[in-house]
Amino acid sequence: MNLFEVMEVSGSALQAERIRAEVVAANMANAETTRTPEGGPFRRHHVVFTSMAPQQSFGSQFAEQLGQPDQPFGGVRVSAVTEDQGEPLRRYDPGHPDADPNGYVAYPDINPLTEMVDLMGATRAYGLNSSAVEAEKNMLSSSLEILR
Amino acid sequence: MEISTPIADALTRYLDLSSLQVKVTAQNMANVDTPDYRTVGFDFAAEMSRSLDDLEQHAGGGDSPSASEPRLGLVDGLLERPDGNNVSMDREGMKMAEAQLQFRVGTELLKHEFARTMDAIHEDQR
Repeated sequence: MNLFEVMEVSGSALQAERIRAEVVAANMANAETTRTPEGGPFRRHHVVFTSMAPQQSFGSQFAEQLGQPDQPFGGVRVSAVTEDQGEPLRRYDPGHPDADPNGYVAYPDINPLTEMVDLMGATRAYGLNSSAVEAEKNMLSSSLEILR
Repeated sequence: MEISTPIADALTRYLDLSSLQVKVTAQNMANVDTPDYRTVGFDFAAEMSRSLDDLEQHAGGGDSPSASEPRLGLVDGLLERPDGNNVSMDREGMKMAEAQLQFRVGTELLKHEFARTMDAIHEDQR
């Protein structure tokens, strides 16, 4: 039983939720972007979370050598950041430099409300996992108290 | 001569199970947004009484009993979201707080248990 591994699990979630928040921030920042290096308007990005296979840490290997293999625990990771393949929004704006011959400009299909809800979800999940780290820290220090 | 008391052994099991509870809860919390992830858990009371039975069975023998593996399983009766995930933030938050208190209680009791042993060792020096 190794409490440091638990911190790694919670840490992986903090990292994944931070990436999710970054992606949401990029989506919101680019809500009106009509030019990208790949051409065309910006496309909304999604993160894909996958539960992680347990890692071979120092603690788990040590326990294995002692003949007491630990039960495996896995965290989470961002396995992919995908692009939304939906059609862009078309708005009539003939004066825009990116307008097509009919005067329509392709804008990213990004809804600020959806993004805000996603950001709130990421923030709550981040808070949940950081409180888990806090709990694990308290447990570690209280187990050190036994020695005093 | 034996220094560890039966109470200390039982408390060790209690702490093991409490830290397992924290691990399971941390894993559930980490996967709160993973599609198709199912909440994992175990029956604390049942595992604790199984551990205590193990301890009692080995009470006569000299060697310390090896801890039997707790049985983990999927938790039923939770609301499933459209993405197939059924982790409840509130349930996990409660479980984490509970496990933290259990661990605190366990370490306090163990500390007192060791303090008593130390008292017995130092008694003749007074």
